[in-house]
Parts: sequence; C-alpha cells; structure tokens
Amino acid sequence: MAWQSKFLSTEVPEGARRFFAHGKREIGVIRHRGRLYAVLNFCPHAGAPVCQGEVDHPVFVETPGGAGCVTPEQPTLRCPWHHWEFDLASGDSLCSGGPRLKTYAVREEAGQIWVDC
Amino acid sequence: MVGSHSMVDTPIIDCDVHQPHPSREELVAYLEEPYRSEVAKWGPRRSVSSGIRGEDGGNRRDLEAARLSDPAYFREALLDRYGHRFALLSGAFAPIAGMPDPDYVNAICRAANDFYREKWLPADERFRLAIKVPLQDPAAAAREVERLAGAPQIAAVSFFATANRIPFGDRYYWPIYEACQRHDLPIHFHPSTGQTIANAAMTAAGHATTYLECHVCLPQFYMAQTASLILNGVFEKFPGLRVMLVEGGIAWLPHLLWRMDAEYKGLRQQAPFLKRLPSEYVRDHVRLTTQPLEEPRQTEHLIQIFNMVDADHTVMYASDFPHWDFDEPTRLPRSLGETTIRRILHDTACEWFRLPQLATA
Repeated sequence: MAWQSKFLSTEVPEGARRFFAHGKREIGVIRHRGRLYAVLNFCPHAGAPVCQGEVDHPVFVETPGGAGCVTPEQPTLRCPWHHWEFDLASGDSLCSGGPRLKTYAVREEAGQIWVDC
Repeated sequence: MVGSHSMVDTPIIDCDVHQPHPSREELVAYLEEPYRSEVAKWGPRRSVSSGIRGEDGGNRRDLEAARLSDPAYFREALLDRYGHRFALLSGAFAPIAGMPDPDYVNAICRAANDFYREKWLPADERFRLAIKVPLQDPAAAAREVERLAGAPQIAAVSFFATANRIPFGDRYYWPIYEACQRHDLPIHFHPSTGQTIANAAMTAAGHATTYLECHVCLPQFYMAQTASLILNGVFEKFPGLRVMLVEGGIAWLPHLLWRMDAEYKGLRQQAPFLKRLPSEYVRDHVRLTTQPLEEPRQTEHLIQIFNMVDADHTVMYASDFPHWDFDEPTRLPRSLGETTIRRILHDTACEWFRLPQLATA
C-alpha cells in the first residue's frame, strides 16, 4: 500500500465517480456530500461493479408499527446487482455477518486526490 | 421410567398428543348460553367441508378405538409405554379454524379448555394442555390466554396454522402475541387444513385433490408463516414470543432461511426494523417438531439437514399419538448421536417449557 495521486480535485466533482485500474480490478473514487470515498469496484457477494450502485441514506423505521423514522448520517452504497448494502466509509455490510467491501483511505491536498492503495 | 430409544436413557417430552374433542354431551356441559341450547338441540356446528376424506379415521388402527376418549388409555399406551415426562395435549379441534362466527368459536374454545382441564389434566400430572383460542377474534383470544395463564398444567396456546385467513406476521394477531409474551406461553402452530375450508387454498398451488396431496404440502404453510412472522418483525415487536411449528417436518427450513437471508441483504429496506439476519431469529423464537420426519433414501442426507437447522437447539420430539402417522421416539436416526437424540427427545423441550432440569446420575 502506498499513497498515490490519482485525480485532480476538479475531475471528481460532487456526485461524480471516477475509476482507475488496480491490479486486475479497479478502484472507484466517489464524492458524496463533499466527502471522498475510495472503494474496490468489486462486490464481495457476486463480483458486481459495486461502485455503479446507488449511494443513499436509507430511512428506517426502528420498530414494527413504529412511527419514528431514522436517517443515518453515514451513506450506504447499494450494489446494482442483488442490492446488498455497505457502509460507504468502512465497507461493512449493513447485514450482520455479511462480507465486507474493500475500501481505501483517500485524501485531498492542493487540488489533488490521493488514494492509499 | 426412561425412554425406549435404544441409544439414549432419557425421559420423553412429547410436543404433540391428540386427545379427542369433547363429545356433544361433554361440550354442552361446559358451554355458555346461547350456544349450550343450540348445541344441545342441533349438535356442534359443522365447518365447510373441503371434500377431502381424512386418512382412515385419522388414528392408528392397532389402538383400542373405544378407549381413545379415556385419559387412562393415553397413560397406558403412550406415557408409561415410552417413558414420557410430559405430553402436550393439542387436541383435535381443527374444524373451528374454518368457522366464521367468532362468538361461537370463542364459546367452543372456552368450553373445550374447561373440559380438558377437568377431565384430562387431573388424570395424570404429565399431561399439559395447549389451550384453544379463537383466531377469528384476537381480543377474545387474548382474554382466554389471560383467563388460563398460570393455571396448573397450561403449557402453550394453540394456533391452527394452515386454515387461517390472515398470515401470522400480520399485526391483527398482536393482542394474542402480547398476551402470550406476558405469560411466557409458547404458541403451538399445528396444521388444520384437511377436511376444512377456511381460506382459498389448501396448498400454495390451490385446492388439493386428496388428503395425500394436502398433507404432503403442509411445509408450504410453515414456510409462508415463518417468513411472515420474521419479515414482519413480530419477534422484534415481541422479543419474548416463542412459537412451535408442529407436524411440518424440518427439511424445508434450510431452504427458507438461506433464501430469506440472501434476499434480505438486498431488500433490507422493506424490513427495516429487523436487527439481525432473518435466520438469526429462529434459535431464540422458533422450534420445529420431528413428526412426520422426512425419509430420504440415504439417512446421511437427513443427518445433514439436522445439522443445517442446528437441531441440538431447534428440534423437539413429537409423536402425534394416536394418529395414523405416529412416530415412536426410535424414529430418530441413531447416527444423530447420543447428545443430539437426548436434546431432541428431552433437553430442548425441557428448556422451552421451563421445566426443571433432571438431576444427572
């Protein structure tokens, strides 16, 4: 693992996803609500291009028949195939015991986006 | 007295024993008006027939039919013969599942419960009763649970699992679940479809032609009811609720759990109140009973299924005595091993019914 400059900041505006090759696969860089995320574009469930899925903050009702709704701050990445969900920052499955999505540290400095991969 | 399983020296806890329904005269003696007069004059109401003939009277032909209404005969032919510690009397009252009048069904349930409490339970301390409640009226059903919970030898609440009109995950049933949870009484789901029409379909495909077809398809109901209970969040709403799925076998469960878990991971937002994978609710809330145990050509396949369903914790023995498809305790494959057989015949049910553990030798 090493920090590598991959994109100019202007190449990944809000809501955009950009990809770069990483070994036999690729890594997607996503900017969502101002924050950058870097994710291996390979779903651990069935190998789908997970970065092409929806980034969302799904609304929950905490109890059956309950009235209160909860919207988590943390965004989720929902795979385009089978719709498995992952915490976009940590890669953790939102279902207990599910496989984890591979994520990478990412930072932005002086107009450049760096990924530790 | 200990059980007759050649591998295991353990008493038996039997989760499904069918004492007969009260006779017309017995029912009249316990019914409240106006139904006492009605039944005395006209007899019990009949449910709408499915047009399907039950199997040969329903009972084992080697038993003394004339004595099947005698608790002493059950003691002799079942409890003493096999070494029962506990036999859950689940009755033979399936036709009430298909009756449309909630007040009538409520009266019949109350009368039957009182009859069994007076006629059957005092006959042997090993008898326990699964009380009948009118699913047509959940508030009345909850009142019946309140009335009898805590009475001696009351051990479960009986639900007919295959002829109800509304799936069990529906909040229509919440009053009953709340009462069962409050009194720590498990629900005993038992098939009811056979001779009774209460809903549109006796199988997932539609109306069965024969008892054979209907009976073979019983697991379909358990698959649907289990999915309904879990995916509608019943066990989140009622974390103390416990259910027994009786007479549906066990082999259907792995398929359902795998499918629920896989699809939940993608469609989780449709059951947002679940805190665990669907399969993870089973160990805390669901028990299967053995009879009628599946019979694959190779016993090893059945052993694999026992392993898949975590049988040491989720499976309990049921004989279905005195019905035609009765299973002796020895029906369990020896290759399950002594520990698993002991848990199925006794230990898991001992925990489930909050019985004291037996002193070990």
